[in-house]
Amino acid sequence: MKIVFSIWLTLFACTHAAGLDFTETRKELHAPEDAKVVTTDFDFTNHTDKPVTIRKYDAACSCIAVKIQGGKLRYEPGESGVVRTEFDMGNFYGTVDKTVLIWQDDDPEAKPSITLTAHVIIPTLVSIEPKTLKWEVNGKPDPQTIRINMAYTKPIKIVSVSSTSEAYSHELKTIEEGKSYELVVTPLDLKTPGLAIYRLTTDCAIDKFKVQQAFAQVRRPDPVTAAPKP
Amino acid sequence: MNFPGQIAVIAVAALAAAGATYLIKGPPVRQLFCDTATLKPDEICLQQIPAGTAVLWVDARPRTEWLKNGVEGSILWNLDPAEDMLAFEAEAAVRIAENPRVIVYCSDENCGISRQVADRIRRMDLGAEVSVLRGGWRALSEAGRIRGARSPR
Repeated sequence: MKIVFSIWLTLFACTHAAGLDFTETRKELHAPEDAKVVTTDFDFTNHTDKPVTIRKYDAACSCIAVKIQGGKLRYEPGESGVVRTEFDMGNFYGTVDKTVLIWQDDDPEAKPSITLTAHVIIPTLVSIEPKTLKWEVNGKPDPQTIRINMAYTKPIKIVSVSSTSEAYSHELKTIEEGKSYELVVTPLDLKTPGLAIYRLTTDCAIDKFKVQQAFAQVRRPDPVTAAPKP
Repeated sequence: MNFPGQIAVIAVAALAAAGATYLIKGPPVRQLFCDTATLKPDEICLQQIPAGTAVLWVDARPRTEWLKNGVEGSILWNLDPAEDMLAFEAEAAVRIAENPRVIVYCSDENCGISRQVADRIRRMDLGAEVSVLRGGWRALSEAGRIRGARSPR
């Protein structure tokens, strides 16, 4: 009986050896609109009864710098540590998940046992709705509107609009200077499919919001939705 | 029974169980297996895409890896802040107008970037059908669908 119990205990311990225990493996971070670098720490403790080694760590993106406190990779039972991550936010805004993978001791190469995720939220100062205007080939060339709204403490003006196609005309309307605009687009030819890319340049002091993009598309009817209903 | 004896019995029992598993189930499968029953709603297995299907492949890996062994005809769209996101958007828009069936892949199943890129493509609202390839580039490589890829292990 004692032997059976020992076997069960050993197998239980083996299958439940969790290694390093992180306080949080996913963090939500609210960064300012002009954030270039976002830093966060992931704390952990070795709650097992044997030493645990961080064999390898990796980020899916060159934009993430990972540092482990003191460069220490082996943790004795009860020892704690910190994985510090620095995310280069570059021209990102909106939401983005940045992940760091950690391999402990015998983790297989293809399956790290720990994934740390920082869910970074950066305010969107310039919103464009809808992002794409659509017409169908041989449809009605009615004008359609893209609404551009600024959500910043300072006014953001649109200083220019450019298009990659001459098959559409456009007009920028100011609804409220520095706050709200409308881009009205009209296709000149609906005989063939086509695409126009609109680039809206603003005077925003933050580089990542200086240029925004929207699309106008003439496309063939979707065969599924265009099919006559029985 | 003394302590070393008990340890020996446990070790023998564990080895016997492991050996029996190896004999019955065979060696561990190292090749990627995509189970369609476990797919998330936006995911797709490579075996669900017949060779020759017109697909716009989007490579979400770093530029150096895409240049080295990306799928032929694929476009690059990763989340590297050094890249020009507007250029990615514009290139994707032009290519989606030609082929709205889009599949995004990154390096392997541990990479979460392809799902974020797929979300960004959907938000462009170009009417594209966007999926994420389960297993990523590794699945393509093991299936021999990348020129110059290593043969499966």
